[in-house]
Amino acid sequence: MGVAGKPEGSESLVDRAVRGDVGAFEELYSENVGRVYLLCLRMCGDPSLAEELAQEAFVRAWQKLGSFRGASAFSTWLHRVTVNVVLGDRRSTVRREARVKPAGDDLPLDLTASAPSPGQVLDLERSIAALPDGARTVFVLHDVEGYRHKEIARLTGVAVGTSKAQLHRARQLLRKALTS
Amino acid sequence: MNCHESTDRFDDYLDGQLDADDANGLRTHLADCPSCADKLETIRELREGAAALPRSLEPPHDLWPGIAARISEAKVVRGRFWSRTLMAAAAAVLVITSVVTAYYIGRSQAVMMAELPAVVESGESEVLLASFEGLGVNDYMARRTELLNALDARSHELSGETMDVVMENLLLIDQAMDRIAVALGEDPENEFLMKQLVGAYRQQINLLQRAVRLPAEV
Repeated sequence: MGVAGKPEGSESLVDRAVRGDVGAFEELYSENVGRVYLLCLRMCGDPSLAEELAQEAFVRAWQKLGSFRGASAFSTWLHRVTVNVVLGDRRSTVRREARVKPAGDDLPLDLTASAPSPGQVLDLERSIAALPDGARTVFVLHDVEGYRHKEIARLTGVAVGTSKAQLHRARQLLRKALTS
Repeated sequence: MNCHESTDRFDDYLDGQLDADDANGLRTHLADCPSCADKLETIRELREGAAALPRSLEPPHDLWPGIAARISEAKVVRGRFWSRTLMAAAAAVLVITSVVTAYYIGRSQAVMMAELPAVVESGESEVLLASFEGLGVNDYMARRTELLNALDARSHELSGETMDVVMENLLLIDQAMDRIAVALGEDPENEFLMKQLVGAYRQQINLLQRAVRLPAEV
């Protein structure tokens, strides 16, 4: 997968958190909350729901810390936990139906200086937020986060061909939105 | 290679995952097919744009208080599986003669450590919760005191380690609730924070209810 698996200086924090040290887990939270929240926001497109999902991801991570074996970086493991939380919520249709389609105005404005221009990035963020759920999920996982279709299919419970079709659809919609 | 075969290989091509024969076949097709070449360029631009998006964004509100309130219950479960050495050490740390007294002493210390107003028996969250109507939390303080008294009555049946963990988690939820209440003071209409506060309240009541129902250990 495309999530960076590089080692980080959190091993001792993780060890302490596994032993039940809430303070250590709070430090892990501080280190990772920005990435977790933005992943949730991009995948669900709703700032309020993204906060709930990010919180749920950390609670789930705390509950599952005992299963973290250190084979990957903690941030990589947490990323997967977060994706599963968001996808699990997606399956809860009752909750989703009650939500209003996002406009994308709350998506990140604090942009880095790297290309493309801030205006282009904002357009892209808003266009991603406006995608249909399935297409947005696959686009974010594949093109933003670097997952392969096989992994996306396994995570979302669809066929590889369906994942490819959703990505194709997402790109067509984005192309149309960005050129209109 | 036809157009369908070509487009199906775009991502692998951009990822450098195509073998040499397929890559050459694709390049040959692209040279003769402006439509596919245009599609490939669009996908390349989208992928580059997506890869350049920010990777981190702080949420509008601090999520930790709500997380701390929720994970404290899980900590109770973990606490029961501490090693014998840790259990002995923990039991030696705290000798509780009265659950209610120990709770309020601990609470006042927790409030002061959190640099919140030095309120001993009523934190920010309690004042706020008492003002809620229609949320089913108006009787919060009375319910908590009732459960603390029930726990007090059972304290001689529970180990020092268990009581230590319960008290520690009660105070942890208290701190979380007070932090949420302070944030609500700055943003009184924030529904997310309000939900977190009510959720934390329920966590604390649940924790006490579970503690009261624990089987006798001593």
